[in-house]
Amino acid sequence: MNRRVFWIIAAAGVSLALLVWLLAGPGRRVVNRQEVVEIDALPTPTPAPEQRVMLLFGGSDGMLHPELRSVPMPAEVHERVRMVVLEVLAGPTGDLQPVVPWPAELNVVFVDNKGNAFIDLSAPPEPLTGSHTELLLAYGLVDSILLNCPELTAVQILFGGQEVPTLTGHLDFSRPLVLNKRFIAS
Amino acid sequence: MRKALIFSFLFLLTASLLPAQESMHTVEFQYAGRSVLVPKLGNRVEVIPILALIGAGAEYSLSAGTYVVALGEQRLQFTPGHKLVLANGVLLNTKEAAVPSPGGIAASISFVDQSLLGPLGFRLEPIPQGYRIAPGARFADPVSVRPAAADFAATTTLVLTLDRATAAVAEPAEDGGIVVRFDDSSPRLDPTARLQSRRVRSITSNGREVVIKTSPDIGLLNSHLLDDPPRVIIELGAVIPKPTPAPAQALERSGPPPIVIDPGHGGKDTGAVGGNGLTERDLTMAVAQRLAAELEARGLAVRLTRDDGEGRALTDRTALANRLEAKLFVSLHANASTFSSVRGAETYYMSLDAQATDAAAAATAKLENEAGEASDERSDLDLILWDLAQTSALNESAELAVAVQTRLNALLDLRDRGVKQAPFVVLTGATMPAILVEIGFLSNPAEASRLARPEHQQELARAIATGIEAFLR
Repeated sequence: MNRRVFWIIAAAGVSLALLVWLLAGPGRRVVNRQEVVEIDALPTPTPAPEQRVMLLFGGSDGMLHPELRSVPMPAEVHERVRMVVLEVLAGPTGDLQPVVPWPAELNVVFVDNKGNAFIDLSAPPEPLTGSHTELLLAYGLVDSILLNCPELTAVQILFGGQEVPTLTGHLDFSRPLVLNKRFIAS
Repeated sequence: MRKALIFSFLFLLTASLLPAQESMHTVEFQYAGRSVLVPKLGNRVEVIPILALIGAGAEYSLSAGTYVVALGEQRLQFTPGHKLVLANGVLLNTKEAAVPSPGGIAASISFVDQSLLGPLGFRLEPIPQGYRIAPGARFADPVSVRPAAADFAATTTLVLTLDRATAAVAEPAEDGGIVVRFDDSSPRLDPTARLQSRRVRSITSNGREVVIKTSPDIGLLNSHLLDDPPRVIIELGAVIPKPTPAPAQALERSGPPPIVIDPGHGGKDTGAVGGNGLTERDLTMAVAQRLAAELEARGLAVRLTRDDGEGRALTDRTALANRLEAKLFVSLHANASTFSSVRGAETYYMSLDAQATDAAAAATAKLENEAGEASDERSDLDLILWDLAQTSALNESAELAVAVQTRLNALLDLRDRGVKQAPFVVLTGATMPAILVEIGFLSNPAEASRLARPEHQQELARAIATGIEAFLR
């Protein structure tokens, strides 16, 4: 290789570097105005104190029956709603029956500033039937949440990330449901 | 020499690419004279620095897995991995989900623009080095809305025909009237549409919602979406019942007011199915036909909400009863439970949630205040009358439910599960005494066998007819 080839390659390298710098360069002109936003590390959860909660499950009489259970109850309302729903989904420990008749997962918990909670469960794998199934599911969850989170006034249940007008063709799931003790055994 | 040259060339090339490395892994966002380089992860960007740039605070509820974003009065909530955002109390279905990232949460540019910045009142504008955040939300593709209305004696059916399918929800507006919210679409009213209705004052669009102003005391009874063509059906009517009856000339129905019987489910919707193969759809139709014959034999006019085998939307069933100004609305169902031991009949009437009642009372008070002419005494009087009318309608439904349930209890071996209240879709918006009767449990083998017997179906029909007749006396 002679000196001429060397200078050609060197010039090509410099030209390429200049081209890339020009293409990427304009964004660098604002460096003096950039701010670095510090991203805090995720907080480490601290164990919440245990508290007795009342959870509602189905009985052989077709009514909701309470089961008392001690669980860690965080102070933050989203976390308390999640805790109650997970306990209801886990099912009863005694002779009662689950109110959600499929192995549902809790996807989302939202709480708005009007006291409405929104919970999203994974959708049932097969269509359900019967207003009784629907009512026990709805009020087993809604009443369990509202009885243990008194700052809330209503709960809307979503399925598979969707607002549904009704689950089995009876109860109105399109809006938040309020406490309804008519299905709790006296 | 050759090696030295190649090394020099590679060195120069690598050095030249170094400035580009950062921009390939970051995107610049500008807002109000400030900018931030945001880490890029594939086609997503870190969200927290963008929110911080506009002054929004983001808190993460660790065990609930929910992010809460607050900017002044605005409040957003979302959960990584799920296509839902709660924006200022309104649920939005998003096309994609945000995902966990080293910086907390990452999302696509369109998610940031439409699902986070949009509800907070901002939009993204592309610039050569990234994006500028500008005030004023920009929403997705426009959807053309062509309104049409049909007035009936007591109700108005408003149809908003859309030029493409999109999610829309009709809700009572806080200042009266109705607002139709479109997810991820900007509604544009068809300027050629002409609408005449005595219950609709105006229809406007503010780019995100269609706002319907109604005549005094007229509000949303129910609404639903239909396909082919995509349209929003909105039923309007008196939400604050008048203490005085409607004038006779307003009635468009010929003959006496009918009792509307609604055989539950229908068409492809079989409802519950017993172990003996009996479907709720067929059973309710069989009992409804027998009940219609029983009532007609007692001199009462009857109308069924569906024919044999035909399906019908739940809201259409109540709307039919309202249009016919029915005397009563009776929806028939057969129950199912995961507990096979559960059996018996039960009768439901509508539950007005405390929140709905309060909201309606507040809307009434606001209407009166806005009128400016009404004295406090008149506002109070109307609220009392409205409350009395609501209580009266509910009381009538409760009386009808008790009358029917009492006769069902008298049937041999039929266990009384009582009269209960719940917010059933098919009872929503009914302007007459309305009940839903669960005639038995198909999930109970013994009860399913009994329900399949024609003579038992006749007994049920006779018991319900006797209850209705007793209520009407």
